[in-house]
Amino acid sequence: MTGRLNRAGILASTPLRQALGLMALVFAILLVTLGFAYVALRSSTEDTIRADLKQQTAVFQVAANPETLSIIVSAEAHASDPAERAIAFVLPDGRQVGNVRVTQRDDQWVVSRHPEYAPLSKHGYYTLKMPLAGGLLLIGESRAPIAELTSTFLAILIFSFVPSVLVSAAYGAWAGMRARRRVSAIETTLDDLTEGHLAARVPETTIKSARGDDLARIGSRLNRMAETQESTVEALRQVSADIAHDLKTPMQRVSVLLAQLRTALPEDGEAHQIAVRAGDETERAVAVFHSLLQIAQIEGGSPKARFKALDLGALASDITELYAASAEEAGGQLLLRDRAQGQARVLGDRGLLGQLLSNLIENAIRHAGPTPQISVEIARQPELVVLRVRDHGPGIPEAERTQVLRRLYRLERSRTTPGNGLGLALVHAVAGLHEAELSLADNHPGLIVELRFRPA
Amino acid sequence: MKLLLIEDDVTTADYVAQGLREESHLVDALANGRDGLSQALGGEYDVIIVDRMLPELDGLSIVRAVRAAKIATPIIFLTAIGGVDDRIEGLNAGADDYLVKPFAFGELSARLMALARRPQTQAEQVVLEAGDLRMDLIARRVTRGGQDIDLLPREFGLLEFLLRRKGRVQTRTMLLEGVWDLNFDPQTNVVETHISRLRNKVDKPFDRDLIHTVRGAGYRIEGG
Repeated sequence: MTGRLNRAGILASTPLRQALGLMALVFAILLVTLGFAYVALRSSTEDTIRADLKQQTAVFQVAANPETLSIIVSAEAHASDPAERAIAFVLPDGRQVGNVRVTQRDDQWVVSRHPEYAPLSKHGYYTLKMPLAGGLLLIGESRAPIAELTSTFLAILIFSFVPSVLVSAAYGAWAGMRARRRVSAIETTLDDLTEGHLAARVPETTIKSARGDDLARIGSRLNRMAETQESTVEALRQVSADIAHDLKTPMQRVSVLLAQLRTALPEDGEAHQIAVRAGDETERAVAVFHSLLQIAQIEGGSPKARFKALDLGALASDITELYAASAEEAGGQLLLRDRAQGQARVLGDRGLLGQLLSNLIENAIRHAGPTPQISVEIARQPELVVLRVRDHGPGIPEAERTQVLRRLYRLERSRTTPGNGLGLALVHAVAGLHEAELSLADNHPGLIVELRFRPA
Repeated sequence: MKLLLIEDDVTTADYVAQGLREESHLVDALANGRDGLSQALGGEYDVIIVDRMLPELDGLSIVRAVRAAKIATPIIFLTAIGGVDDRIEGLNAGADDYLVKPFAFGELSARLMALARRPQTQAEQVVLEAGDLRMDLIARRVTRGGQDIDLLPREFGLLEFLLRRKGRVQTRTMLLEGVWDLNFDPQTNVVETHISRLRNKVDKPFDRDLIHTVRGAGYRIEGG
């Protein structure tokens, strides 16, 4: 039960996944809206800066000659911080005035620091160049406002994203843990029920903790189902016990009376023989009745709690050893081929599996002709333990292979041989209890009964 | 032996009590659970035979109460309830054996004898003997009249089981439980076949038979 908590990792929990998914969605929306706002604001800021630049050129355009303009530019340069506004005028003779230096490289004018002025803006400039008074005027507005805008938006993004991640992850983890506890309570109950603990119920805390949510509904429905199953099984047990008592008690009396009759009659007389035969018939009736009850109980879900890991090979060896002599007496042979060599471990009830194997072998001895050649095979595949019983008898026609697994069904030709038509029905029931796949096939000639178990 | 029989069905109770008395046992028979329990708690019995469905107090409760009172007397259930889990339930309650109705009297008698003699420690014995038959458990060797007898492992086990219970009847089902560890009733005469093979080796070549068939019950090995 503890293994299950580990198996379902926290990431497998629905609420956490939902919380993470929702968080990703919220983040995407946030990113898109902030993105749009940023782009819009940035372009309007740029427009403002460009408009400013244009306006400033108006002051300089009043100057008629380069000398006057260089005086205005020098005055303007002294008043401005080059980190905010760069201004330079290249006179027609190549001399420069302004708070920055400009150099022509290829077709570009490159701005660099003027040693007598403060450093340049770290963010670059929006520049405007215009030929004026025979020279070239260059004005640059720092891009700092745009950089500030970008960092403000980044801050908004981080401050809204980080807390929402933390909050939704924490909520998801909390809800996930809670749901996982409740889901695992439901799983435990299901496992217990499957194993035959019919009194297992989903705890009240799981059902009550969130009134009417889906897990609570599943939990209470599971409990209702378990109650129905328990009372059905209990009713079956009660009926079985009642029938067992009410029918077996008179049968017990009959067999007692027959035993007394046997001892009262002279042993060599015909009447004694009749009493013996009547006793045998009573035993047979009891055996049929006992098998029917047993099949009903197994199909009703005999507790799997007492299942133990056992080696099917070892059990097959015990049972074939028990029957080998009988097969030889019948003029045949019973062989065991254990190809799994101790690797055929399954979870099961040794008594019931022994009975299953014994029924299959008895069937083969009984129906596989005058010299029954029977083999019991155990094989191990990666995810399977296979048990096969083969004979070379007449087999079972394909159309009837499902029907022979039903109670009291007998093939037409078997009506005269001993047996009560319950052997394969019991095999079917025991296989079902062990969740083993049962199949009948043609051995060309003969019958193959194959059982595929899950390894322990 | 002194036996307590708690059984409410008169026909069965009379038959069992009479049969056991004929085998010279002392039998106290009671028909209801409450009286049965007080008798079981008070009297000194060798074996208690108890039905499961009884008026006033059921058999399982009787067995649990007896065990709770620290009484170790062997108990055998004699019951019509013979389902897959019922036997285990009965044994878990503290019973030593479980016999399902209808039963043959010989089966009950043989099982009572087995229960009454259970605590004897024969485990240390290294040589088992019956007449001139000798089984050496350490050398895994069987001889009769000094002549070696070759046995298959299971034949050895079967003979050992009978020798350890020398003089007492062992039924087919007791042999299946004891030698093969199986508690279901095969339809085929598997035990008879094994006994007959054992006889071919142990008895057939010699003058006197050691393995005896007890009609309607089982087998017994004889010889001082």
